[in-house]
Amino acid sequence: MSAQGKKFFGYLAALAAVLALLPLVVTNPYYLNVLNVVALNVLVVTGLNLLIGYAGQISLGHAAFFGLGAYISGILSGSYGWEPWTALLAAAVVVAVVALIIGLPTLRLEGNYLVMATLGFNLIVSVLMVQLDDITGGPSGYTGIPSLSFFGAPIASDISFYWLAWGAVLVGLILARNLVHSRVGRGLKALHEAPLAAAASGVPIEAYKVKVFIISAVYASVAGSLYAHYYGIITPATFDIFKSVELVTMCIVGGMGSLWGGLFGAALLTPMPQLLAVVEEYKDIFFGGILLVLLIFLPQGLVGWLEGKRVRPGGRAF
Amino acid sequence: MSALLTIKGLSVRFGGVQALSAMDMEAPAGAITALIGPNGAGKTTAINCVSGVVAPDAGRVSFDGQEVLGLAGHKLACLGLTRTFQNLQVFGLMNALENVMVGMHAASRGGFAAAMLRLPLLRREEKAIRERAEEMLSFFGLEKLAHQPAEELAYGDQKRLELARALAGRPRLMLLDEPVAGLNAAETHEIGGLIVKIKEQGIGVVLVEHDMGLVMHVSDQVAVLSGGVLIAQGTPEEIQQDPEVLRTYLGGGEEFGLVA
Amino acid sequence: MGFGDQLAQYVISGLTTGAVYALVALGFCLIYNATRVVNFAQGDFLSLGGLMAYSLLIGAGLPMALAFPLAIVAVALVGALLERMAIRPARSRQVMVLIFITIAASILMRGIFKHLWGKQALALPPLSPETPLRLLGATFTPQNLWVLAITLVAIVALIWFFNRTLTGKAMRATAINSSAAALMGIDAHRMTMYSFALAGALGALAGVLITPITSLSYNVGVIIGLKGFAAAVLGGYGSFLGAVVGGLVLGLIESLTAGLISSVYKDAVAFVVLLLVLFLRPGGLLGVKGGNRV
Repeated sequence: MSAQGKKFFGYLAALAAVLALLPLVVTNPYYLNVLNVVALNVLVVTGLNLLIGYAGQISLGHAAFFGLGAYISGILSGSYGWEPWTALLAAAVVVAVVALIIGLPTLRLEGNYLVMATLGFNLIVSVLMVQLDDITGGPSGYTGIPSLSFFGAPIASDISFYWLAWGAVLVGLILARNLVHSRVGRGLKALHEAPLAAAASGVPIEAYKVKVFIISAVYASVAGSLYAHYYGIITPATFDIFKSVELVTMCIVGGMGSLWGGLFGAALLTPMPQLLAVVEEYKDIFFGGILLVLLIFLPQGLVGWLEGKRVRPGGRAF
Repeated sequence: MSALLTIKGLSVRFGGVQALSAMDMEAPAGAITALIGPNGAGKTTAINCVSGVVAPDAGRVSFDGQEVLGLAGHKLACLGLTRTFQNLQVFGLMNALENVMVGMHAASRGGFAAAMLRLPLLRREEKAIRERAEEMLSFFGLEKLAHQPAEELAYGDQKRLELARALAGRPRLMLLDEPVAGLNAAETHEIGGLIVKIKEQGIGVVLVEHDMGLVMHVSDQVAVLSGGVLIAQGTPEEIQQDPEVLRTYLGGGEEFGLVA
Repeated sequence: MGFGDQLAQYVISGLTTGAVYALVALGFCLIYNATRVVNFAQGDFLSLGGLMAYSLLIGAGLPMALAFPLAIVAVALVGALLERMAIRPARSRQVMVLIFITIAASILMRGIFKHLWGKQALALPPLSPETPLRLLGATFTPQNLWVLAITLVAIVALIWFFNRTLTGKAMRATAINSSAAALMGIDAHRMTMYSFALAGALGALAGVLITPITSLSYNVGVIIGLKGFAAAVLGGYGSFLGAVVGGLVLGLIESLTAGLISSVYKDAVAFVVLLLVLFLRPGGLLGVKGGNRV
């Protein structure tokens, strides 16, 4: 195994050990719940990071993919009696197709057309979730979603979902890491830094961008389905454009182009609203202010900063 | 020698400027064909057309008998046609080794699924890619810099890194756009030697260059462009005698490195 | 009311909101041309314009003719401040990071507005008393006319500014090539700051004009801002004429679909249009060509 591989799997083992021990300390269901939400956010941000950090494209529509994963899986199992795991897979397939439809025409173009398209897409999805109330339950949400099960045992409690969600995170991180350190991953980094030279080396730029966008959307969809089966109720407000902004923010604050950055960003920002609840009145001011300072002074992200990565003032890359 | 690359009637217009008009050129396999001409003659435009960066208004380009105009840029590398750039195009944040490994992209197959699941095929391929890239770095004398980010390399090293990347995938023809521009005499001499070695591996080279010493020294064939028109093609000796070429390069003796 | 009258009604209201979208889209354009950044705080400039006008008019008791221009100047200063305090000191010049700086600024600004003005809906009076007027069978208020007329004046003023004044020309030069402009002795930072100030002023103007028709609250600008963005893309992102045309067309489409088809999806229409433009004609209505291919 390469030195990079050893380092990654070393960190991963450390993370797994901490995760295994954490439930011994954290028994309060409220904190377990926060940890579970962190896990789902890490999953989405890991996928998003492949798109933003490696292919250099922004999506402001990942909350919509997260939401589609939740609604499709929830409705198929809740209203149509599908087996929840099958419903989760079906949702992922649908989301992959939707991502293909959005990505194909916009990623062909030079510049950040994807950010505009995904922004519009998220707003449309939000309206549909509210307006198609026969199917979605409207603004008050969709209820009665069955839990996932593991060999017949329902994954309903906070602690059982904890193992599932963080297990999914570990798998998601390994898959993403494998992708990054491969021929394809190098191609993605290359097309972001010098597209002409990447193409001249045989990297199919358009196809790679579209594929990585689809993969990142599927990560979000799976996280969304897990979310729906965990809570049993989903509401449109959870998946609005502000959630999309939050997800990309986690990616940037943690460190674009670093898989651990996504983990840090999500772990730091997910509980932030709860932590700032003590200053309820000033919550947005604090959140916006902290974000502003981090973006101005630490644009390389927390992990980039810890690794001593220089800031490249100009340039496309990070 | 049959032509590996054939350019026929290539014409490009940028706004009011006719960059190329009905240019014809041939480059055989396993030989060095230089493409020379004054600044603005259309040399880089020709290379850009062949490599799919610029779409010409008219003309045909065939590579090994296959029409390549209109093919997506990455397909050319798969056919065995690679290039370097006049303005450096290294992947700045990736290290030198990874830069060259990208050059193996067309010569390998593992896709997204294979990569994410780290299938055995991919592991084997990854090993082969790494070995080939290390071999390329030694060939170009860059092995000590393998783990340096490319943007931190010296200019001359970045130039050689581009050559290493273009050669890594075992192409059949390489388009080199001013590989020694900005280099000193010693570095130029060294790169000239490397280009000859590349040719000796049976790889065709199209060399766009201003350094006439290098061109006349290494080339088997020289094509001369002026104002978007091909005015001569022949051996270095023939070109140096060609009256029209001499007219184009006023005081051409010096330009051709005949004085030196 | 006959169908023709109804249609006239929809056209009037569509043009009115369209004019406001155009003002917002122009703000997006100005900052985009100067920095290549999509300024997501543009909608908050609109909110702040309305809120400032409310405080100066109702709180401080100033006359309208003083309160409204003062509100616009104040938001222009906030725009300049955003450039000076958040964009200029940013250690990364990457567009992606700068875009997220504007998003963070937007969250921060909304937090401040909520703290200062509260969450409840406020009311800003129209520019002149609400005596309904009738034209071609449509009933409309003087505010509709004010919006259209003032938007027109603002556009003419912008054209004059960019073509006839030294500062305007310097701003255009910086937008085209900032390093070349800098070599000619133009202070590019200052020009960028002016762009933010001008974008702030346009946003505030939109806020003062539209909030008497819609409503006024600390976050009224969010959705109007996003629609203004859709209008800018529709017209051809970065083009001034495109912003105006895109705004008006979008306002009309929205009002006509709401009136003739269904108002249920009113808020989605703008974004469906946005997606269609990106898929079919990414350069926008006035774009010369589709976006460059890689």
